[in-house]
Amino acid sequence: MIDPYYLQQLAIGLSLGMTYALMAIGFTLIFGVLNVVNFAHGEIYTLGAFAGLVLITASAPPVAAVVFAALAIGALAGFSLERLAFKPFRRFTDEASLKSRAMRESTLLSSLAVSIVVREALEIVFGSEMRSVPFEYLINTPVRVGPVILVTGDFIIFGVSAAMLIGLQYLLTRTRIGLGIRAVSNNPLGAKYVGIDTDRTIIMTFVVGSMMGAAAGILVGLYYGAIFPAMGFVPGIKAFVAMVMGGLSSIPGAVICALILGVSESMATTFVSSGWSDMVAYGFLILTLIFFPNGLFGAGRERV
Amino acid sequence: MNASNTRQGWLVPALIGLLVFAVLPAGLAAFDRGYFYQVANVAMIFVLLSASMHLVTGVAGLLHLGHAAFYGVGAYTAALLATKAGLGFTWTLPLSGLVAALVAFLVALPTMRLVSIYFAVATLAIGQMLYLVMLNWVEFTKGPNGIIVSKGLELFGFSLSGRLATYYTVAAVVMLCVVAISRLSHSYYGNALRSIREDDQCADAMGVRTVRLKMEAFTLSAFFAGVAGSLWAHMTGYISPGDFKFSESILILAMVVVGGLGSLPGAVIGALLLILLPEGLRGMGDFRNIMVGMVMFLSILFLPKGLLGEVSALRLVRQQLGAAWRRTDNGIGIGWR
Amino acid sequence: MTHLLEIDKATRRFGGVVAVNGVTAHVDEGELVGLIGPNGAGKTTLFNLISGFTPLSSGTVRFAGHLVNGKRPNQVAHLGISRTFQNLRVFPNMSVFDNVSVGAVGTLPQGPFGALFGGAKRADEISERTWQALEAVGLTHVADELAANLPYGRRKYLEIARALAMRPRFLILDEPAAGLNDTETRELASFIKRLHGQGLTIMLVEHDMNLVMGICQRVLVLATGRKIADGTPDVIRKDPAVLEAYLGVDA
Repeated sequence: MIDPYYLQQLAIGLSLGMTYALMAIGFTLIFGVLNVVNFAHGEIYTLGAFAGLVLITASAPPVAAVVFAALAIGALAGFSLERLAFKPFRRFTDEASLKSRAMRESTLLSSLAVSIVVREALEIVFGSEMRSVPFEYLINTPVRVGPVILVTGDFIIFGVSAAMLIGLQYLLTRTRIGLGIRAVSNNPLGAKYVGIDTDRTIIMTFVVGSMMGAAAGILVGLYYGAIFPAMGFVPGIKAFVAMVMGGLSSIPGAVICALILGVSESMATTFVSSGWSDMVAYGFLILTLIFFPNGLFGAGRERV
Repeated sequence: MNASNTRQGWLVPALIGLLVFAVLPAGLAAFDRGYFYQVANVAMIFVLLSASMHLVTGVAGLLHLGHAAFYGVGAYTAALLATKAGLGFTWTLPLSGLVAALVAFLVALPTMRLVSIYFAVATLAIGQMLYLVMLNWVEFTKGPNGIIVSKGLELFGFSLSGRLATYYTVAAVVMLCVVAISRLSHSYYGNALRSIREDDQCADAMGVRTVRLKMEAFTLSAFFAGVAGSLWAHMTGYISPGDFKFSESILILAMVVVGGLGSLPGAVIGALLLILLPEGLRGMGDFRNIMVGMVMFLSILFLPKGLLGEVSALRLVRQQLGAAWRRTDNGIGIGWR
Repeated sequence: MTHLLEIDKATRRFGGVVAVNGVTAHVDEGELVGLIGPNGAGKTTLFNLISGFTPLSSGTVRFAGHLVNGKRPNQVAHLGISRTFQNLRVFPNMSVFDNVSVGAVGTLPQGPFGALFGGAKRADEISERTWQALEAVGLTHVADELAANLPYGRRKYLEIARALAMRPRFLILDEPAAGLNDTETRELASFIKRLHGQGLTIMLVEHDMNLVMGICQRVLVLATGRKIADGTPDVIRKDPAVLEAYLGVDA
């Protein structure tokens, strides 16, 4: 029988990992599957959280409405982001792929710039301190499951992640839209030639991915009870790490690696102070980039 | 037909020298407000940071998202050498540069073969890791409390800590470094770096040792960032991790992008713009970062070549600074001397 | 007798596909050799094997006695091989002069310390070589023009000038006549002949039969990764295997 202490530690790590997985799913859809370099996903996550917070402080509606608000804001934000920071750089869809490296770097810079503007705007409007979520909305009531203690949020996040994961896998592999997304990511010009509306496909992917990001934001916000403008930056990087470790275009892979990351991080904090815990993610990233060019599971990367 | 117009060759540098070493200090001394001196010094230091970033990102094409961390390595080296070993600026200046360059070299060794976007993310991770070290290794770096550097600038024992002397020292070091960066960028070596940016596979086929040159560009830019760090440490007298976080790397990147990727005059202009503008529009404190983001975004969208794009900048340098090998029949300079 | 370029049972596999299959061939100093074959025969892959762009799966390539296997493209360039590209890879945001100078600085290198402290000597050497290469292709009048602004035909000559600035012992041209009209092709043919006349060893891949048969001294024929013929243009013209390869796969 395993010592319950270690089981609890594992549970803590898995919970942490699930919060990363929640964000990694939407992130991987846009970056990994659609093959678009998006540096602003962390801010969509934050916007989702703030949308929920604003609604809560304004009219104290039921939790479902809060999540719905986050989803709506996420969809709107994703759409706007795509139109603002990505569409203008697709003017050169007819030029040779020589342009593509420059274009990807432009979109990296433009999405980075947008993310800065959004984050700073949030700081100006809401201030940079942490806002706490009112007690009634927190989803961290403890629940005993055998030898370990989890919280209600763990189940909710797990459920939502599973739903998103299954939904996306179905979408990507069994539907025409999903096929369209994969076609566009593989060869945008070719996809156009066979009649796929690349613009619409890209917009839809952004909207779906951003809704997931926003949902992640509000759920994590309700889980930890703290919402602040810079909250998306570090989780965004960790979602990126999970995605790269998972082989870039595999959403299930990203989820598994997010869990690995969460468990590793919480194990690390038993040895060093929590200030260093982010090092785990950065370390994994560097190691994966250098030693596992095809991700941990050899699912393939080198698509730039 | 080998003559470059020697009269034009020294005119512009002379004017710049006059501005920086005579006109500006005269103005500073006349107004004699500590605040103006501070702004001038900060602007010069960021000119150096921007110029060093120009070399690695503008010329060599390596998107670097962690440049401020090497600036920080230099600053911490200077601060620690000054406070723990009692060394003066004469020593900390070169050592800060060398330590930053060494760290960059070690970082570059495993990561240089990564493709562009992944290299960029790797530099982001490295920058964050260095930042975490500054923040958490409290025994060594004093963590978030930062380090107070009581030794001002000096040279070979000669104290230069008065306001005007500080200004002249900062200006002299920055000018010297910018000239060095100019000679690197505006040369056939610079052309080799540019070819790597344009098409590194093809450059390799032309005999350019791409991996080695990328490492050189990365290491050299870190050296200059480290030098800027030592200037900062001695000039302001206090450093803390917050001076070197990710948003500072983005600020420097924005300077280069706004000025024009590949253009050294552009990088200088970008630095001056993004430092002086928020100072000019006083009470902008909180708005600085949002302004940086907006300026960067608008510039990428509407002025992708930057304020003074590479093509114009290279022509300018060849015309005005006599850097060309010869002139074509139309009087345009080509090649490098 | 040692050949300048020796290819011995060179093979390149990409997963299940064998692009080049046990090709053995040679090129001697001073020759002008053509490489032809139907689409997909492995010609560009063979070029990539020779220039170090892609590694050999088995077999060897030797240049002037040195093993090319496992060398990076810049090392192969330093051995004396320079090349152009089928899909025209000039450096778009650099001027014509600067483009060609990269060929010169690659093989006559100037490092950072040379740029910082060195006198004008190395720079002048590079400048001279660049100018001479531009004169050879007749592009000196557009030296300051941005490469991206050059018309297609001129860009081909720019690539060749850049390769010439490397002062190669062996120049390989990958479909130099692609996209050129008849007049331009004729000009190109006489240009290549002139280069060859000046002592340069050249190998070219081409689809334009008139060009290849017209100027090449010897022709290698590839089909589905194998060498099926090797001889003078007259011999190749009548070779039944060659005819079958071309007519048989006519789509």
